[in-house]
Amino acid sequence: MNSYPPELLVQLAPVMFVAGLDVPQQLTDADGTTKPLDAFQVLIVRLREALANQRKVEIWQADKSKTFQVILVDNSVRFPPRKLVLPDDPQYSNAHSPLSPLTPTSPLFPDGLIAPIWIRKHTTLVPSVLVMFMRIYELPTHILRNPEDGPESERERTEEERRRDTELATEISQRKKSTNERGVKLTVVLVASRRLLDDPRLDTRLGYIRRQSGLDSRAALFVLSPVSASELNDFVESLQQALYEPALEYYTAHSKRVRRKRNRHSQSTPSYTNPALALANPNIARPLRPEGWTVRYEYKMACFAEFRGEDEVALKHYQDAYSALIIMFGSTAILPPRTKRWAEAKVLADCINIKIVKLYLYNNEHALALSHHNAHLRQFNDLSRGWGIGEETFEFWSWVARQYRILGELIDQGTRSGLTIPSHQPVGAAQNPAQSAARAAMGLAELDAVRSLGLNPSHALQHSGYYYYMAAKCTDIRRERFLAAVEAEKNNQTILSPGFANEKRVDHLSLVLELYTKAYELFKKYSKPSQGQASRLTLLIACRIAETYYTSGKYDMAIRFFERIAKTYRKEGWYTMLRPLLSTWHSCAKRIEDVNSSIKLLLEMMGHDLQEGEDPEGLQDNLLAILQDTVPFSTDDVVVFDLEDALPIFQTSVVFWEPEVDVSQPDSFQLSLKAPKRITVESIPFVSLEIYFSGISRPVVVRHDDSNAPPTASVNRIHIGDVVTGMEHPGTTGNLRWALGTTLVIMGTLMSDTPSQLSVDKIVLNLEQHAWKVRLQYLPLTTAFNQFVQPRWLSSLNPPRFIPIKRADYSTAIVNHRPHRLQVSINHNSPAYLNEDYGLEIQVTNTDDQELNIVADVLLQPSDIDYAINSISVDDKSSTGLIKDISFGRLVPGASASKVLHSFSAGATGDRILDVSVTSSVPDDSGDEVLGQDDREEEDEEPESPTNLNKTAHQRTVVIPTVRPFDVSENVVYARTRRELPRLGDISTFDSDDSNSRGQHEAYVNVKFTCCGPWDIYIESATVELEKHVPHVKLLDCSANLEDNNLYPAEYLPGDEFSISCRLALMKADDSRSEDQPIPSPGHMVISWRRILPDGTHSKLSTTKSSLPILQPPLDDLIALLDVPPTAILHQPLTLTITVRNNNPTRSANVTVQLDPDATDAFVVAGLRAGRVTILLPGSEEKITWKLIPLDCGYVKLPRIKILDRRKVAQTATDEVQGGDGGFAGEPVKIVDLRRDVRQRVSIQDGGEGSSVEHDSGTELGTVLILPS
Amino acid sequence: MPPSLKMNAVAFISPQNHPIMIRTFSENEEGAIKYHYIAHTSLDIIDERVGAKLTDCYLGLLYSMEDVAVYGYVTPLKVKIILALALTDAVVKDTEVITIFKALHMAYYGAISNPFLALESSTSTIDQRTYILAGSPKWKGFRRQVDTISRMVGGG
Repeated sequence: MNSYPPELLVQLAPVMFVAGLDVPQQLTDADGTTKPLDAFQVLIVRLREALANQRKVEIWQADKSKTFQVILVDNSVRFPPRKLVLPDDPQYSNAHSPLSPLTPTSPLFPDGLIAPIWIRKHTTLVPSVLVMFMRIYELPTHILRNPEDGPESERERTEEERRRDTELATEISQRKKSTNERGVKLTVVLVASRRLLDDPRLDTRLGYIRRQSGLDSRAALFVLSPVSASELNDFVESLQQALYEPALEYYTAHSKRVRRKRNRHSQSTPSYTNPALALANPNIARPLRPEGWTVRYEYKMACFAEFRGEDEVALKHYQDAYSALIIMFGSTAILPPRTKRWAEAKVLADCINIKIVKLYLYNNEHALALSHHNAHLRQFNDLSRGWGIGEETFEFWSWVARQYRILGELIDQGTRSGLTIPSHQPVGAAQNPAQSAARAAMGLAELDAVRSLGLNPSHALQHSGYYYYMAAKCTDIRRERFLAAVEAEKNNQTILSPGFANEKRVDHLSLVLELYTKAYELFKKYSKPSQGQASRLTLLIACRIAETYYTSGKYDMAIRFFERIAKTYRKEGWYTMLRPLLSTWHSCAKRIEDVNSSIKLLLEMMGHDLQEGEDPEGLQDNLLAILQDTVPFSTDDVVVFDLEDALPIFQTSVVFWEPEVDVSQPDSFQLSLKAPKRITVESIPFVSLEIYFSGISRPVVVRHDDSNAPPTASVNRIHIGDVVTGMEHPGTTGNLRWALGTTLVIMGTLMSDTPSQLSVDKIVLNLEQHAWKVRLQYLPLTTAFNQFVQPRWLSSLNPPRFIPIKRADYSTAIVNHRPHRLQVSINHNSPAYLNEDYGLEIQVTNTDDQELNIVADVLLQPSDIDYAINSISVDDKSSTGLIKDISFGRLVPGASASKVLHSFSAGATGDRILDVSVTSSVPDDSGDEVLGQDDREEEDEEPESPTNLNKTAHQRTVVIPTVRPFDVSENVVYARTRRELPRLGDISTFDSDDSNSRGQHEAYVNVKFTCCGPWDIYIESATVELEKHVPHVKLLDCSANLEDNNLYPAEYLPGDEFSISCRLALMKADDSRSEDQPIPSPGHMVISWRRILPDGTHSKLSTTKSSLPILQPPLDDLIALLDVPPTAILHQPLTLTITVRNNNPTRSANVTVQLDPDATDAFVVAGLRAGRVTILLPGSEEKITWKLIPLDCGYVKLPRIKILDRRKVAQTATDEVQGGDGGFAGEPVKIVDLRRDVRQRVSIQDGGEGSSVEHDSGTELGTVLILPS
Repeated sequence: MPPSLKMNAVAFISPQNHPIMIRTFSENEEGAIKYHYIAHTSLDIIDERVGAKLTDCYLGLLYSMEDVAVYGYVTPLKVKIILALALTDAVVKDTEVITIFKALHMAYYGAISNPFLALESSTSTIDQRTYILAGSPKWKGFRRQVDTISRMVGGG
């Protein structure tokens, strides 16, 4: 920015002159001590400070607060004259401003556009507001305080004040005259003591002064007394607030005046001079062209708008001025190139461009800003070509660099005060607040356009680093062009450019460096702070800086940069970029005669591909020359080349034949070194090759042996024999010279007597020449990422044949302990039964030749079978998952040990899976068994590498199919109890312990067990266990409990069946629980059994519980139970009993009984023929008895008995009395033959649905068998 | 009709930031090395954008410098594709750039699907090295395909 006049660039703001604030003089007393400043002086000092801090002169000043550019002036400040002649001169109306191109003495005469001095006039010489600070007269305090003064002296004082005030008013009015002439607002601040503020006469005095001085009524007179600094700031702020409006008016007036002039001017006919004439005589002064006037007026209006803070208006006028300027540049007649006016105009155009860019950026219109800047560059690129300073000249590039630099500086300033650089992430991707803010500022229409159209990359605002970088690049090009010009001059060509002499004085390189450094700093600033390393962008710039240092001969600086950059490039494998860097670095090292670095760099470069147009032998020759011609600092010094990430000269790979070997078993390996294909390394004097194997401290050395003829074959071979860890290898000899693209394979075997990993740690190539000793260290695997070497094994030398190795870890081999020989067998008789304690015998036999410590772990795998319950146990340990460390003890060779593992499975059938892992280890003789256990636990915490543990693990997986031992089927039938119901009033009804008396139903449960498993079962006992929490069920009797039962214990074979029956009394629920709810399973059948093992022994006792079925007795309402003996003897009487039972819980029953004797009946009946039973209350019963004498033999039917429930009839009769059947005596009550009373659910197989219907066989009345007497 | 885009260079970078392939199409004397630099420096911005939150493969304009506008794309497996377009004063539609990226992505997929790559590699599984191998000059198909894409883009 320094290359442009600052006046044309700064942000303009209203100017305020402040007078009357002269720095108070430190008064010295007669006795030489400095008097402290009085209150008013302090006030002045503070005021000066506060005012001066209002606004700083800056280029980027987007802040829109109402602040003034304050300039402190002398009390007697004078404004420059408006015109050269005095106002009373008759020429006044025709005269022009001293700066006008029409005024002959003006620097712009006759055709200048606008000069920085014009801006300076408005920023420093003419204010929009003049503020004068003055002291109002105050009587000294000691006069006031005199109470003895009469009215006489009072009047005197008033007169004195009036006189002083008049003087003040006169001074002000004179000032007012000069400001009025300029249209400048005058404001007076009267400084008074606090005491005066309270004086009642102050208002009168102020009014007087205002009237006398002719000050405006508004915002023209302030009174200030010494106040604190903060209050002072408030005052300054309110002063500015009050004066801002008049200031705007001032600049608006200027604008209006200029617009009038422009309009007048555009109407007047332009007086064209003959362009041809103008071209012929460029030195003849010609007046400013109409286009020039347009530029001038537009520029002025833009400036005034800027003063007012109206950015949009300013932008518009600047753009108009700019386009008018471009029109002027378009014609060499209007602006002849390379004249003073042309140069001025160019500066003006550049400055207007910056102003436009800045105003766009204020408004966050990045794209428009950059678009204008790019258009400016393009415009002048075209124009420059026409002026003969096109892209091939240094002038052009100097100008472009300046443009980028100033843009960079502007954005730099902007970002420091609030400009945000947008992130150019695609719309819809991660949105940060800054971005959305920028988008909000963009406006809706523009946003839509962006979405649908994308982005113009050249309009994307980036941080200033990029623009500095561009400036640096352009300066670089400028330097190139300049050097070309210098070259041309040497060849006696004349350089036409007038700036050439100047250009020679420019230090291009330091300029470039400065710009690059600036860019570097900015890139560093904007790179993510989280990245510990320097970012790659900065590396690029660092690279450019280093190149520039190199060009400017600061080799040591360049090397410092190169070292840093090369590190990252090497690490990330960007060799294409690394190679030219190394070349330049090498040149630097050569210049400063750093021989060690030179050697290293040459060696590193040999690892890279041959560059285009390079001599294949160049690097080798260079290296040999250095080794030949120089000597190291001391003969003991060894140059060590050990860059980890650097590309090695030789493509190296190590291949082991076997991936794993046992201890003391040799593994073959091949180490191949392949020379580059295009870079000659044939004559490099390698004297030895050291191979460092892991675990071997001393390397295996292969010494160069010249005696053999240099190898010609593409593959050569050196045997180094057997290498054993811990033993010194004598080394060997071989030819260590490589022709182009040849491979040297070093082969041998490697053996270790301890478990370890075999690998080649590093390879060292030693080269010696004269006093030089160079040591090249390589890791065997460092190859370029894109030059991947396929691992292969040389199988035949002549012709060379290779076997590809398809292994990821081909370059290492693992040495393991020999696995222990151990026999593990697991014996068990599958399948297992549910609920069975299932035994598995784990037997371990030591077949090794050493004593072994055996430990087993058993894992019961989690089962995915629903409801399965599993557990395992060994000795005293049990678990549902893992049992660790089942010790088998130490086994001497040939010994065996076994353990029985118990597995318990319940719940559901299915396969159970056990993982058995038997681990053998060599017992540690130093400690006892307990210590060994502790060691193991420590190992768990900190596991050693598996190769070092001399352990062998045998893994077994055992699948135990589990089946149920019995198939269970059950059958339930229900019967009504024969027992008499207790009477209603019977007190025992409420006896809880005799609750069986209330049983209404009996359930006969019959459970059938089928031995379905493959094994014989020995059943020890079978019982029925009732749950205590089911109070409504009572076990009456059970087949398993019979006295003479000798069924158990007994052996059952597969397929055998047995059943257990029991009779249960079902009680009526005490609570109001619904009767038809089923009774949950009241208990279990418990079978205790043992499996009969194949050897005839019995296993442990197991129990199987089979739940009793859910009981759901059918419900009765009113029922008649018929009881008759099944047989009778002819002519002997038998008793027929009918019990009418009212089971209805709420309703009483009205029952009639009718026995209809029939002629065909085989009985003679004695008893009730027809009658009514007493009303039956709920839960009560009535017994009716008949005596029958059989008359016939055989199965005879019982006489017909009808029992009718009249209650129901009565109900229906009342309901439907009209339609009622009068003859109907009641509803028949169901008669159940107690002998046949069996009710059960019978499933119906129709429709495939398992629906069932209740079958009550008791309703079919049976017969009686009459036997002859 | 906006002028068609011109591809100056394409770079494929492995997830570990090693170059897989850098193909340049400009006749400029500065040539390949410049685009190596551009590809390398782009990684910074890609890292930054990916680090923020990756919602899309397409990363948009990374930066514009000198005469190129640099665009970035990250495949789901974190292979970075960097595209350097000649900088013109015209709007570049995101959709067009995404189309180019997708074509390049497919070309890369094609290249790593080459069954013979697995033969080159030491292991049977495809590892990072294989990805880098895909860009080696030995496999001409990938290059040809990228060149075709460039021609298609340039030809409109």
